[in-house]
Amino acid sequence: MSGCPYFGNSHLSSQTFHREEEDESQEGVNNASKGGIIYGDYLQLEKIVSAQVLQSELRGNKIHDEHLFIVTHQAYELWFKQILWELDSVRDIFISGHVRDERNMLKVVTRMHRIAMIFRLLVDQFAVLETMTALDFFDFREYLSPASGFQSLQFRLLENKIGVPDNQRVPYNRRHYRDNFRGQESEMLLCSEQEPTLLHLVEKWLERTPGLEENGFNFWGKLQKNIEDGLRLEKEKLEKKEESEEKEEMMAEHNKQREIFTALFDEKRHDHLLSKGERRLSYKALQGALMIYFYSKFMLFSELDLTVPGTSTLNACPTTPTYHPDNDHLVFLLDNHVCMVHRMIGSKNGTGGSSGYHYLRSTVSDRYKVFVDLFNLATFLIPRDWVPKLNPTVHTFLYTAECCDSSYCSSEDSD
Amino acid sequence: MSGCPSFERKLQTFQKRSAQVDNGDDAQAGCNKATKGGTVYGEYLQLDKIVAAQLLQSERKGKKVHDEHLFIVTHQANELWFKQILWELDSVQQIFMKGHVRDERNMLKVVSRIQRIAMIFKLLVQQFMVLETMTAMDFFDFREYLASSSGTQSLQFRLLETKIGVPECQRVPYNRRHYRDSFQGKENEILLKSEQEPTLLQLVEKWLERTPGLEKDGFNFWEKLQANVEEGFRSETRKLDQKPKSEMKKEIMEDLQKRKMVFTSLFDEKCHNHLLSKGERRISYKALQGALMIYYYREEPRFQLPFQLLTSLMDIDAFMTKWRYSHVCMVHRMIGSKAGIGSSSGYHYLRSTLSDHYKVFVDFFNLATFLVPRSWVPRLNPSIHKFLVTAERYDSSYCSEDSD
Repeated sequence: MSGCPYFGNSHLSSQTFHREEEDESQEGVNNASKGGIIYGDYLQLEKIVSAQVLQSELRGNKIHDEHLFIVTHQAYELWFKQILWELDSVRDIFISGHVRDERNMLKVVTRMHRIAMIFRLLVDQFAVLETMTALDFFDFREYLSPASGFQSLQFRLLENKIGVPDNQRVPYNRRHYRDNFRGQESEMLLCSEQEPTLLHLVEKWLERTPGLEENGFNFWGKLQKNIEDGLRLEKEKLEKKEESEEKEEMMAEHNKQREIFTALFDEKRHDHLLSKGERRLSYKALQGALMIYFYSKFMLFSELDLTVPGTSTLNACPTTPTYHPDNDHLVFLLDNHVCMVHRMIGSKNGTGGSSGYHYLRSTVSDRYKVFVDLFNLATFLIPRDWVPKLNPTVHTFLYTAECCDSSYCSSEDSD
Repeated sequence: MSGCPSFERKLQTFQKRSAQVDNGDDAQAGCNKATKGGTVYGEYLQLDKIVAAQLLQSERKGKKVHDEHLFIVTHQANELWFKQILWELDSVQQIFMKGHVRDERNMLKVVSRIQRIAMIFKLLVQQFMVLETMTAMDFFDFREYLASSSGTQSLQFRLLETKIGVPECQRVPYNRRHYRDSFQGKENEILLKSEQEPTLLQLVEKWLERTPGLEKDGFNFWEKLQANVEEGFRSETRKLDQKPKSEMKKEIMEDLQKRKMVFTSLFDEKCHNHLLSKGERRISYKALQGALMIYYYREEPRFQLPFQLLTSLMDIDAFMTKWRYSHVCMVHRMIGSKAGIGSSSGYHYLRSTLSDHYKVFVDFFNLATFLVPRSWVPRLNPSIHKFLVTAERYDSSYCSEDSD
């Protein structure tokens, strides 16, 4: 057909293409024929690759694009499983106290970063499903009811384990999200609500940030004093200026800043916002986060910096796809999902009977943002010279890491 | 724990809030159907199979290595998408083989599905960034447990290579053995069958040969093009000859000669067939003409979709090459230059598959060699050349509701 003289011959024409003796690509012996597990068995592909049954085909009206719909969701669920695997291992490191040995931090940071990478991939994955048109989807949509993404156990589990609080969830058709699940699945969800979430664990860890001790470095006390002094000086300078519109604006700006910092040092106010769900970390934990934020250039904190938005990647907007902690990706994922659903079904009802698009849109809000406090740290940026000075010879906590030999779990114990 | 006073009161808060949101809240409209029976999400997607298919060899042998799970899931995700690619490929193959592609209303379906395949490959390339979070040291911890399994045993990958059009005679042998030797029984038969069926390349080749406008007793594109090109070069040479002698004139003359030679080879059918036999070209001479025609006249309504098809086919090649390259780089980082798991030389074998031999639609890429100034392209006149606007439609073969 194509004119190639070798077409159709199954003989090895390799000899004419390669000088065998020196061909590195030919070295080695094929082990597969010696027995032992092979690729397809190792990956249990007979399960994976036989799991696509089109409802439209079962009803005698096979719609081609349904296969893509199924595979896309299955790929999502595979990656959800991977996220849960990483998330649980990180939570275990915290829960077992192993995080006190700072040699375990690399493991924690690497796995959190991996989760972020997976979320980034899941956002990219929408581009594939977007090759399906609303018209094609309409052709098989009727066969899906009442299945709905709302019944994804793994997605709920990962939301819970990261720290989406139950009382902040938007109800689904006025019912509790757990009502969609029965038996063992419902129990698993309940467990995930009751066990320590990533947010809780990170909170406790932040509270232990070295340097917060009032009888030690007393970061908070020093910071408050520095800021008050700094603001006072600023005000004095401003007042000396000649009256002008510019001066008025600058005064107004100054007063705004003053208010922000007054609020920062008001513990009661913080607790009030906490009870409303607008903040999620304890007051002590917030102090720890701010400390890490400001001192991230010192060695002790350089690894920790990765789990807190780095000062250079500061961006509170949840929908930009730059590097962010995993939670930002969660919101971006939700946002992407919402856009796609809107395109597919407009404002019609979802297959699970919810309002579909409207329900999903309500979940793209800050109440689903778990680490909202870390995003808000940028509110409290101050000039560098207001940051309490650290002296490595005096403040040895800066470079002395904690190593508790019993809890360091290196490669031998790979958890 | 968090100090949040309402933490313990979650249920009450929830009930209070749900009372508040009831009136006019779009997010709450609707009724939960799941309780009424019918397929639920997990059953629809057979998640009991998917999510239970991760068995760590390192754990089985009593030395669980955390990162093995990522290794497994990444490969399973790849295989899921390979299945989707095969689903799309087979459907396109059917449209061509049943002759349905003669009804040009089916072209959108073909082009969309080819584009979708390209998008999936793009995603598979992006997927590497996740596996790249695993270090070589971590991989080393569990690699021994993988013993004899290897990606060269991926049936679906071989199938999709073959169906797209990687020719068996161009394949780099694996440890001096035929690639099909990695497979036994039914799998081996499936592979053999796929080698014998028409590939996407062959089907597209036949389709290109039918490009309207090639007919010698019709528009006769090829001869017109040749005449225009020869006249174009003659005219350029004349103009250049009239210029005064100079170093620059000499260089331009040499460049002109080189370009002339390129086109001389283009219009030499024997030369093309020779390159075909060497595997450096992959489509027939007639098909090449059709492709060039589509390139030049891509804005004519009838050629717009065909042009998109050629572009998407090249996208597939480009992404497959990127995928191979990403894979090689990762393998190199993971195992250096030691033998691969299936005991090939691993890195070296994979690197050898990056050659142009594995590029299926190489001819389309090479068309850029033969671009000419617009004024040399034979003129089309819609009132004379009706084929430009009249698409072919055979009512019996247009398959709209029939979703194949």
